[in-house]
Amino acid sequence: MTALGIRAVGVAAPGLPGWPATADVLAGRTPFVVQPVASLDSNLPGTERRRANEVSRWSIAAALEATGDARVEDVAALATVFGSADGDGHVLDAMLAALAQDKVAVSPTIFHNSVFNAPAGYWGIGAKASGSSTTLCAGEGTFAAVLLESHGLVAATQESVLLVVCDLPFPPRVPFTCGGRSPFAGALLLEPLGVDASRWGCIDGLRVTRRAARRPDHDALVDGEFAGNASAAALLLLGAIARGHAASIALPYIDDAVVELTWQP
Amino acid sequence: MTPVVVTAAAMANACGIGMRAIGAALREGRSGLRRNDFEPATGLDTFIGRVDAVESIDWPERFADYDCRNNRLAWLALDQDGFRAKVAAARARHGAERIGVFVGTSTSGILTTEMYSRATRDQPVPARLSASSYAACHSMYAPARFVQAACDLHGIAATLSTACSSSAKAFGSAARALHAGQCDAAIVAGVDSLALSTLHGFDSLELLSRTPCRPFDSDRDGISIGEGAGLALLEREGSGAVELTGIGESADAWHMSSPHPQGAGAVRAMRGALRSAGLRPEDIDYINLHGTATRANDTAEDHAVHAVFGSTTSAGSTKGWTGHALGAAGITEALVCVYALREQWRPGTLNCVTPDPALRSRIDRESQAAPLRNALSNSFGFGGNNCSLVFGLRR
Repeated sequence: MTALGIRAVGVAAPGLPGWPATADVLAGRTPFVVQPVASLDSNLPGTERRRANEVSRWSIAAALEATGDARVEDVAALATVFGSADGDGHVLDAMLAALAQDKVAVSPTIFHNSVFNAPAGYWGIGAKASGSSTTLCAGEGTFAAVLLESHGLVAATQESVLLVVCDLPFPPRVPFTCGGRSPFAGALLLEPLGVDASRWGCIDGLRVTRRAARRPDHDALVDGEFAGNASAAALLLLGAIARGHAASIALPYIDDAVVELTWQP
Repeated sequence: MTPVVVTAAAMANACGIGMRAIGAALREGRSGLRRNDFEPATGLDTFIGRVDAVESIDWPERFADYDCRNNRLAWLALDQDGFRAKVAAARARHGAERIGVFVGTSTSGILTTEMYSRATRDQPVPARLSASSYAACHSMYAPARFVQAACDLHGIAATLSTACSSSAKAFGSAARALHAGQCDAAIVAGVDSLALSTLHGFDSLELLSRTPCRPFDSDRDGISIGEGAGLALLEREGSGAVELTGIGESADAWHMSSPHPQGAGAVRAMRGALRSAGLRPEDIDYINLHGTATRANDTAEDHAVHAVFGSTTSAGSTKGWTGHALGAAGITEALVCVYALREQWRPGTLNCVTPDPALRSRIDRESQAAPLRNALSNSFGFGGNNCSLVFGLRR
């Protein structure tokens, strides 16, 4: 398979304010302390900044850290792969409330924010990104699915891909529970492996394996603070990067499967 | 790109159940649109493409959790055109773990939740749907999980959701997964069903036509929402008259719900698809336009098509037959291209009575037999997401 180099990482989550701080937590250099995120970086112009939904704001914050850190010459040319298991619960809540009225009046902004690819759309506007953009999900296996999609894209184009995942807790009025209790957004700038090693190592050997053969990996944050948040499965990979030792990783995937990969510094 | 073969195809939508019925409706110029009679939203003065057949399916007990309008549409399509038998044969060839599933949808089975919250709105404590009902019906991943379960497959799977380009994008993901060796065959599907959020949402944007939609007509005034499901089996090699030869994808980076006025993103998608197929504009014999029949969309698409193809390439929109099936539109129209290539016959543009004189590309109103080697299908969605696909007759 084509190996994927990791050129940059972005993280936005309570207690994980950006990649350097996240790496310190994951490597055990500093304790994890839940703290609300003070503000989310944005590249959106005024009108869109006001309109953008929550999942877009978090996604953009993580994407900005990854693209800023990489000093990417041309962010606008990057292909993007966005993922979220469940999308934006606040928009769904507002939509369901409007639809339950006797006289239905849906806000146009709520409607266009209700599309699953809203984060990709807002990112495109903010970054003037006009390349290929995909948005996908696979339930609790969403992070692994987004990695598989990015792998296919890099293999086909031999160009860099910006991967962004985000899941958020749903408001209590929505008639089901999603996203766990804590928000998590993560971004990876992936590139075809060049002559020079990528800054944050590389992913190789992506493959689907039955859970009968291997269970998904465990991690204190993934199983704790971010339990139920499908996007936070990214922390299983980020943990290996933070520790800096080659690792074989099993990500949760669909039904009775895991996605295995190796990470090397 | 290296072409991939369409080894099986099936669909169900308002103008027919199965490729043969849909082909007959196309040839007879018979629209599937009718005045809105969708019970939970009858207050809207518009036309819809409704598939009544999903309402009377004898639903299998083993899939009880999955019972919703959207999955029913997928099930209906699975039962058409010998699709299940073709998948079974592919499973025997490649193994259940080597067949991927890529489903495009914009709203999955959201109607289930919409009706539930409407029915329970006066309860003081929010009523809860069961987790299994959410996962199997409403969650965005639900239709991919359902198609995978219904076909007894255990390979990779994902739902692609980029609004009205979703199931065109699913072809791209499937082709890349095949090339990257992630699977040896791939089911591409698109399924979207009537829902309150889309009907009322497009109404809020004043984009619903009060007549059956009239793509590229002088008096076009909006879309007719339809529903439908389409399925295609893609393999690196195998039997099938048509192959997917090109994919072009782009983003407008312009506005969440309005197209770039000059169709700049659409131009990039079409040129990307031609480049990927190794074709020149003059090699395309038929363009199935996104052609939703809103003022802005058709004007922008016309700009884009004219910029790439000039005024000579035959183009048309089939939304007047099917309505706009949103996330299922991409595969519906991809399979119209497959049908056109197989039959050497291309549909015109139903309900386009007086072509808008301001438009410059060649919009064909009439259907006709024509020698076709290559066809291009356009799909554009909210968020400025564009995808063009090229299909070709195999040599």
